[in-house]
Amino acid sequence: MQKISREELQKRLDQINELFASIVTHAQHQSTMRCPYKNRFDECTANFGCRNKRKPVAPGGLPVCAGDDKLNYRKAWE
Amino acid sequence: MAEISNVSNEFIRQEIEEFIERPEERERTINLFARARPEMQVIAAALIEGDNETVDQLTRQALDSGIEAVEVMDYGLIAGMGIVGIKFRQNFIFVPEVLACARAMKAGMAHVEPILSASGIDPVGTVIMGTVKGDLHDIGKNLCIMMLRGAGFVVHDLGVDTSPDKFIEAVEEIKAPLLGMSALLTTTMPNMGKTIEAFIDADLRDQVKIMVGGAPVTQDFADDMGADGYGKDALACVALAKSLLGVAVKS
Repeated sequence: MQKISREELQKRLDQINELFASIVTHAQHQSTMRCPYKNRFDECTANFGCRNKRKPVAPGGLPVCAGDDKLNYRKAWE
Repeated sequence: MAEISNVSNEFIRQEIEEFIERPEERERTINLFARARPEMQVIAAALIEGDNETVDQLTRQALDSGIEAVEVMDYGLIAGMGIVGIKFRQNFIFVPEVLACARAMKAGMAHVEPILSASGIDPVGTVIMGTVKGDLHDIGKNLCIMMLRGAGFVVHDLGVDTSPDKFIEAVEEIKAPLLGMSALLTTTMPNMGKTIEAFIDADLRDQVKIMVGGAPVTQDFADDMGADGYGKDALACVALAKSLLGVAVKS
């Protein structure tokens, strides 16, 4: 089996860590103005009830998010 | 300097054209993928699409064919995740898509782990993570897990609505030295304390460090319920996990 050195691995972990840290920082900022469960198609990916959920466009699809992101979306979570 | 036409994978070319706006990032990304062999570009493309099954399969194939693990990481997994990070920052995709891509990356990294073991490199630590009983909110926990895995931890995710018994069972079975609990609701937050009490009752409290987090949780609340540590967010979670396990924290 091939081998990898600790230094080579650490270099990659540092890169991944930097990448993920910027993602998490942006996620924290974004979650103050957009529900983090809402995907790019404005569908809800949450596995819990939310008053902003509307029926899916296509059968079997994800519920549509009707939240306008102007209010604190957390209050809609059930 | 490479040209976009030097990137052989059409999907990657389109991603660069459509989503990478900053000239220096565009140049760096084109140069990176122009050097990547087609197999790595396909891995990166599958990762960007959040297709964990394809990433799993292609990473295994690449490593079996003798491609070095560092090449798979550099030109497949990390390169793909780099584009995901840019798309997220520019609001072309959102947290659910990013988490799907992180799952795909994990599927690929799973094939690198045996190589690390064979090289005598142990994981930074093993952590069990779960959202407490009665709570179905998992975004914060999932971001913590993404960060922990990225930092080299092995994470066992118990998911949401995790009962004290399930936490205890997992700690006993996996022999993990660290447990992370998350809660988003003030109504479910007390279940963290109940889980800690269950560990005391089971005479297992000394065997595991317990860290807690979640929007309504505070340091005072964590102290009151007897947790070993509180992380205010996913970034703090990694530093806390390292500190609780006595791993040197990089400044």
